[in-house]
Amino acid sequence: MKQLNSIVEGVGSVVQLLFRSASYAGSLPRQWARFIEQCYQIGYTTLPIVAILSFFIGTVLALEAGYAMEGFGAKEFIGSLVGLSMARELGPMMTSVLLAGRVGSAIAAELASMKVYQEIDALTTMNIPAAKILVLPRLAAVLVMMPVLIVIANIVGWFGGSVVARYVSTVGISPESYFAALRHYTKFKDVINGMEKAEVFGFVVVLVCCDIGLNTKGGPREIGAAVTRAVVVSLILILVLDYFVTKILM
Amino acid sequence: MNSTQQTARVGLFFLLGVALVWVTFQTLSDGKIFEERSHTLIAGFGDLKQLKTGDEVRLAGVKVGTVKTTRLAGRRAEAVLQVDPKIPIASDATASIVMSGLIGGNYIAIDMGTPGAPPLADGAEIKTLESPDLNTLMSDIGGLGKQLQESLGSFSKTLNGTGKDGGGIIQKLDKLVTENSARVDATMANLQEITSKVNRGEGTLGKLVNDPKLHDELLATVEEIKATATQAKEFVANAQTLMDQVKSGQGPLGTLVYDQKAADDIKASIANIRSVSDKLAKGQGTLGKLINDDSLYNSAQVTIKKVDRTLDGLSDSGPITAVGIVVNALF
Repeated sequence: MKQLNSIVEGVGSVVQLLFRSASYAGSLPRQWARFIEQCYQIGYTTLPIVAILSFFIGTVLALEAGYAMEGFGAKEFIGSLVGLSMARELGPMMTSVLLAGRVGSAIAAELASMKVYQEIDALTTMNIPAAKILVLPRLAAVLVMMPVLIVIANIVGWFGGSVVARYVSTVGISPESYFAALRHYTKFKDVINGMEKAEVFGFVVVLVCCDIGLNTKGGPREIGAAVTRAVVVSLILILVLDYFVTKILM
Repeated sequence: MNSTQQTARVGLFFLLGVALVWVTFQTLSDGKIFEERSHTLIAGFGDLKQLKTGDEVRLAGVKVGTVKTTRLAGRRAEAVLQVDPKIPIASDATASIVMSGLIGGNYIAIDMGTPGAPPLADGAEIKTLESPDLNTLMSDIGGLGKQLQESLGSFSKTLNGTGKDGGGIIQKLDKLVTENSARVDATMANLQEITSKVNRGEGTLGKLVNDPKLHDELLATVEEIKATATQAKEFVANAQTLMDQVKSGQGPLGTLVYDQKAADDIKASIANIRSVSDKLAKGQGTLGKLINDDSLYNSAQVTIKKVDRTLDGLSDSGPITAVGIVVNALF
């Protein structure tokens, strides 16, 4: 019961934070510098790890698909499998998981530190809402950066699959055949679908991490606990939301 | 890092993302944001098999649209096809459901129809052709295999027999050959001898085969037959001319056959001859009496006897008195 109560409390807190931040949406142009800084942190610095992860997700997908499809002579369809999997599911989900691990944890740690060291309280005392200068720029930045990260993740993943298709002898199909199948079965709407999912996941991850960071209580030891909790809750939410968003977008 | 650098990097990153979205869009959608206006065609089938929304519609193998939806309409299933309006589908074109692979992919295949046929209008129904799917084919092949197995079994039984009727064809053939091997050998020897003789030019057949003289004679005979045939042709032509003349009533024969007056004359002549012959038969008239009356014969005989005697009497009197005696004897 206590657990359920804490979950409901957490949901309520997140929703409140969302509305508080949304109410300051008009102040975003005046926070351009903060917005750019968050874009840099969320998008630019996350790009290398997203690219590396996506490349190897693509290669593993092609490798496993080649192994599985060889049994019934459908290796020419590897391109379609990698293309659709990356665009619709693995691109958005793995990028969001990375975002939770890299950006979400950083947000939670930063805000938890500010809370623990009473910087948030100081801002409140100066009538500067945390939701306005700490949460809103991050939410706006993640909404702008996620599509960019997703399209890069997709393209790098597709390319990784083509490398395996070309150079691994057990797969052994030409890049032309791989990309022909990919183009034939993967539509632009699938890419858009993946971007929509990534927007939801990224927005929720940043919102939840901000909320957990801002609600940290106690001493410095709580900062680590808040980070752990933020990442775990983010991952769970990504996976749970994945089902429902996929179902809605179908 | 100063704020300007950060802004530049974020801007570059964002522009890169936009550019990649554009490239992806161009690659996957051929630069079409909105669905183009398309024609809708209705294709009715008894069974849509595994056809589903989004499957391709191909005209002569080239993709021209997709299956918009599938639905039931009364006692048949309908596929609503969305096709490119720039590509006219002939009104007598036929649509069929074709398998695109063994793992269950299907598409609608449309043929070209006849040249010059008017195109189908938007919303029109296209003619369809039911084609067997993989399950039907497998079922048919299974039935065919069973029949083949039965046929082979029956054939095998015929060849090898069942053991009750003294063996099959092979056993009977074997027995026949074994029992008649001596005769077969003799026949073969005879055949060999005959062919040897023919080869050496012995006998009629041998000479016919080997003697060039026979060949020449045969050629000469053929020439004679040709000449005879030519003459026969001329004869037939002459006969034909004659027949033509007869038919046209020319010449005595033509007159005889086709002239009514001549026919009447002949009929009258025959009637006269019959009348004369009847009189002769009845002994009427001089000639009738001459033929039928014996008394004239007897008188002639008496007279001849008298003449004979007279001549005997005159043998010594001389020719001058003989005339007078004959006259006296007669009158």
